[in-house]
Amino acid sequence: MIPIKEVKFERTYDASLEKVWKAWTDPEMLKQWWGPNNVIIPECEVDLRVGGRIYIVMEAGEAMGPYKGTRWPMDGKYTVVEKNSKLAYTAKAWTEGQEATTQIDQVTELSLVDDNGKTKLKLKSTINKIGSDAKMAVEGMQQGFNQQLQKLSKYLS
Amino acid sequence: MVEQVYNLDGIFGSLSDPTRRDILKRVGKHSMSISDIARSYKISFAGIAKHLNVLEKSGLVFKTRQGKEQIVTIDPKALLVVNDYLKKYERLWEDRLDNLDKHLKSINKEG
Repeated sequence: MIPIKEVKFERTYDASLEKVWKAWTDPEMLKQWWGPNNVIIPECEVDLRVGGRIYIVMEAGEAMGPYKGTRWPMDGKYTVVEKNSKLAYTAKAWTEGQEATTQIDQVTELSLVDDNGKTKLKLKSTINKIGSDAKMAVEGMQQGFNQQLQKLSKYLS
Repeated sequence: MVEQVYNLDGIFGSLSDPTRRDILKRVGKHSMSISDIARSYKISFAGIAKHLNVLEKSGLVFKTRQGKEQIVTIDPKALLVVNDYLKKYERLWEDRLDNLDKHLKSINKEG
């Protein structure tokens, strides 16, 4: 099966392996950084073992205006748990109240390597399925046509 | 503003096939007749027509008639939808990894 989208990131953090691992696996820590700006994390559950649950709810905060209060849960299972080194989970995420049509299935893999006291993080996240009703209004379609095609050829290649 | 609703499932479904992706690349350069497209592939004309129907249904291309020929043109609107969606996903992770950096710095300060 060809994944719909794969994103890869590499970052180096000025913190020890243990600290980065803890940030990814301690629910109280996850709550503090998991959400993008203007989003709060009211619920976070981590059962850190292969087959254990990862459950995180993001909730739109005050600054998100009309979206305020919208909840986006993610519910998944860990598939790899190797302390201070590797973490992977499969999960589905959706907009609360529209689970059937907004669901995204994703696989996320994380690896951590020590780099002289700093931590090199590699992350790969793959979307394998997207719900059918992720509708969007499209504006300004003519501008950016060429740009879009360039982007598309990148996406297709 | 005209609000058009696209079916992402259909769009991504039709992009999951390598022949259809290839057709889309060709048509992306300039509009082509169905027979011109069919000539580039070993698959039967009917097979190509089927792929084109899938692409048309998902909104990635549209067909117009020119005399006896049907001309296939790419629809940029559907592509905008795809990119918009994927960009958001990428952005989400970027923000998250930035936030992790801030978080780690703040706990470092606390010792």
